[in-house]
Amino acid sequence: MPPRSETRHAHRFWACPECDYLMHQRAVPDKQEANCPRCGYTLVARHHRSVERTLALAITGLILFFPANLFPILSLQALGLAQQETIFSSVVALYDSRLYAVSALVLMTAIIVPFIKMLLMVYLSASLMFHRRSRGLSWAMRSYQQLDSWGMLEIYLLGVFVSMIKLVDIAEVTPGIGLYSMAALILTTLITSTQLDQHRFWRRIEQLERAR
Amino acid sequence: MSHSALKQGLLCCTQCHKTLPHSYDGRPCPRCGTKVHQRRPHSITYSWALLISAAFALIPAYMLPIMTLKSLGQGAPSTIIGGVIDLIEYDMLGIAFVVLTASVIIPLIKVVGMVILLLTVQRGVVTNLHQKMLMYRFVEWIGRWSMLDIFVVAILAAIVQLGNLASINGEVGATAFGAAVILTMLSATVFDTRLIWDKHLQQLEESQ
Repeated sequence: MPPRSETRHAHRFWACPECDYLMHQRAVPDKQEANCPRCGYTLVARHHRSVERTLALAITGLILFFPANLFPILSLQALGLAQQETIFSSVVALYDSRLYAVSALVLMTAIIVPFIKMLLMVYLSASLMFHRRSRGLSWAMRSYQQLDSWGMLEIYLLGVFVSMIKLVDIAEVTPGIGLYSMAALILTTLITSTQLDQHRFWRRIEQLERAR
Repeated sequence: MSHSALKQGLLCCTQCHKTLPHSYDGRPCPRCGTKVHQRRPHSITYSWALLISAAFALIPAYMLPIMTLKSLGQGAPSTIIGGVIDLIEYDMLGIAFVVLTASVIIPLIKVVGMVILLLTVQRGVVTNLHQKMLMYRFVEWIGRWSMLDIFVVAILAAIVQLGNLASINGEVGATAFGAAVILTMLSATVFDTRLIWDKHLQQLEESQ
């Protein structure tokens, strides 16, 4: 541990953001993690080719976003009547029930946030990969991190399953292309966030912005 | 010797995790631009305020109907608990358990967990620090899954629109429940976990 006089050498140390434990920085090899010895927080998780992989995954996610939103998630047939459902139509249904706040909440968590997260990640990883000093890189990374827990597509998917089971006795419900695209989109989003090496991203952003 | 960055005149940006000299306290982080603090100011007060609001929002969320099934002109409003009971009556125990967990058990665990955390940190209890940290991470991770019932209402209201035959509409209970979920999520987010360890470190320091 450093004496007080060494505080200007902050770059030699890591402080755990969750428990404030102070430790000397050390190199973390590829595919390995560094955890806080006191509280177990993952300080650094090195991923092989993190920038390239997140770029590929984010582009995939961006493409999958369109079929997931444009094609029906579920179709229902009962007594000769048919009804289809997309993510956006569930937002509209809440709006029609005069639940404006809830409708806005579903719009944010199931459509806007997942889309913006992918968009930010494409912009970020493409800029880092091609060493482009694009505008607002640190803003994009910060926004991505803050939006992370507000994208709730996986919970929406669970909601689709619960709804299907609730309706199974009453009507015939069939999953549509939208549902399969959404499942693929969720998988892509999850892999993107596990392959994202936040420590490396922040250092690269810092290097690029300093060179400006 | 201290194991706390604070005692060594360093602080950590909670957004990008850069280690900074304590002179940055209250100023934007040079790397990511977020305002950095040695400890998030009024963290416990904000956390309490959001938690208490969430607890109050849960009352109408459970009492008021979250949706109405209208069939042949007759309306049948259903509450969250009523929905779970229906599922049990139809012998769909697995899905009843999922819905019960997401909409009743998780919100209650979240509120109780945050109350325990806030009280023990305020009173300077220094036992079970690791358990408290684990509990916080659990509360923070599981919180969003309570949104399940909101999505179910949204999906059912969208797909069951068969005119006079049968139609489902959302009801005001969903607003209260949505508010409760968001408020508990925010309550966990504004809580500065470093406060869990501070009193313990202070005592270690004094004993040396």
